[in-house]
Amino acid sequence: MENIKIPAEERSLEVDFDFAANTFSLSGRSFPENVPEFFGPLVDKLKEHFATQKGARIVFSFSLVYFNSPSAKYVLGLFDLLERTAEAGNEVKILWACEKDDDMQEMGEDMAEDLESATFELRFLN
Amino acid sequence: MSYELFTDETEIITQGEAYLEQGAFADPEAAKRYAELLKQYKKLLKNLQRLMKLSDRNEEKLNAMAHVMEEKNKIQEALSANLSKYLSPQIVHSLLTGEKGTDLVTQRKKLTVFFSDIKDFTKTTENMQPEDLSYLLNSYFTEMSKIALHYGATIDKFIGDAMLMFFGDPETRGVREDAEACVRMAVAMQRRMRKLQSTWRFRGYKDPFHMRIGINTGYCNVGNFGSEDRMDYTIIGGEVNLAARLEVQAEPDGILISSDTYALVQDIVEAEERPKLMAKGIEREIIPYAITNIYDEELGCPDLIRSEFKGLRIIADLERVNAEDKGAIIESMEQLLARLREEPAG
Repeated sequence: MENIKIPAEERSLEVDFDFAANTFSLSGRSFPENVPEFFGPLVDKLKEHFATQKGARIVFSFSLVYFNSPSAKYVLGLFDLLERTAEAGNEVKILWACEKDDDMQEMGEDMAEDLESATFELRFLN
Repeated sequence: MSYELFTDETEIITQGEAYLEQGAFADPEAAKRYAELLKQYKKLLKNLQRLMKLSDRNEEKLNAMAHVMEEKNKIQEALSANLSKYLSPQIVHSLLTGEKGTDLVTQRKKLTVFFSDIKDFTKTTENMQPEDLSYLLNSYFTEMSKIALHYGATIDKFIGDAMLMFFGDPETRGVREDAEACVRMAVAMQRRMRKLQSTWRFRGYKDPFHMRIGINTGYCNVGNFGSEDRMDYTIIGGEVNLAARLEVQAEPDGILISSDTYALVQDIVEAEERPKLMAKGIEREIIPYAITNIYDEELGCPDLIRSEFKGLRIIADLERVNAEDKGAIIESMEQLLARLREEPAG
């Protein structure tokens, strides 16, 4: 599958998906005018790719500064997708980068509560 | 009794779990599918709670940011109001909005320059108590500044008893409009001076101030002059000197304008030509005009009628009409009316 690289804009995230290496990252701020239009195609590609993986090592990094509620729905959906991918026999690691004691730390830890098969790792910036 | 936001949803989950525990499903497959649906329901509820939490946090952050912005705006408004007392409000606005910078840059622009002073200021005030002088000067400058701001003048500076103002920078309404605004302002100032003079006399000041005004229109250098550390936004050039020269030549309570300004404002004023003069930095000979009247609704001139249409311009100063001319004037007007009624329009 062709890699996806989208530079960050004022209202949207930087996207760096390397399908061959199974490394994926989302970083920056997310409050695009049309959230489904931004996330929808990305989620479709990920679903398509993860469905073909067996015993793969997958690393998904989030480094989010701010995201609005519709973006949060997609982030929660990604956590769910990664959990299911892990359940299907892959080694999935979610890296969550944020400032220490920031709201984002609590948000990441809260979402990680539901993970049973995928592993979650906090990484503090600075 | 405490109330919680998700009481109903929690109740549904409790009930669902109870059904499973009681073995309410005879078919094990149906029980399994029910358990899965219940799990998904729990997950959805949790996600809903997360989204609401995030939304609340974002709203809090937004409110905090709005509060900070509001405070900053208040500080900036207060600063701007204070600065506007030291500098011309237009200059402060230009600096705050970034339209003007603080580089030592000047521009050549056609401006209408206003210069005024108090006739015999030193002689009038030499025996005055400082408190009295402060009162007179402050009331004079306060009233004149109000009028200047009303007409949109850029107040350059007060130099002792003199005032330097200009029209055409940083905002301009057009060269003619700027000149007209300047002359209207000068007339309004002299009219206000007459009222101030009465007040001052009433308060016991025998020799109230008399203002002289000079106005000229021409190309000046305008911008930041000085050093990188301390500068003034001001105007320089021969045309500025000419305005000062006209002011010196003006009669007390009078307004003397150059022919360049007169050419721009002749439709709204009546003026008398005065002897030619020369000014430092100006090669040409200057014909000054002393303003005797103005056609201006705001300034109120009941004896003046001024209307302009395509093909017809009426400028009438009824105060100056001679009694013996009245009959001829009426006859001419009636002829005009008769012709206008006869002739089809267009």
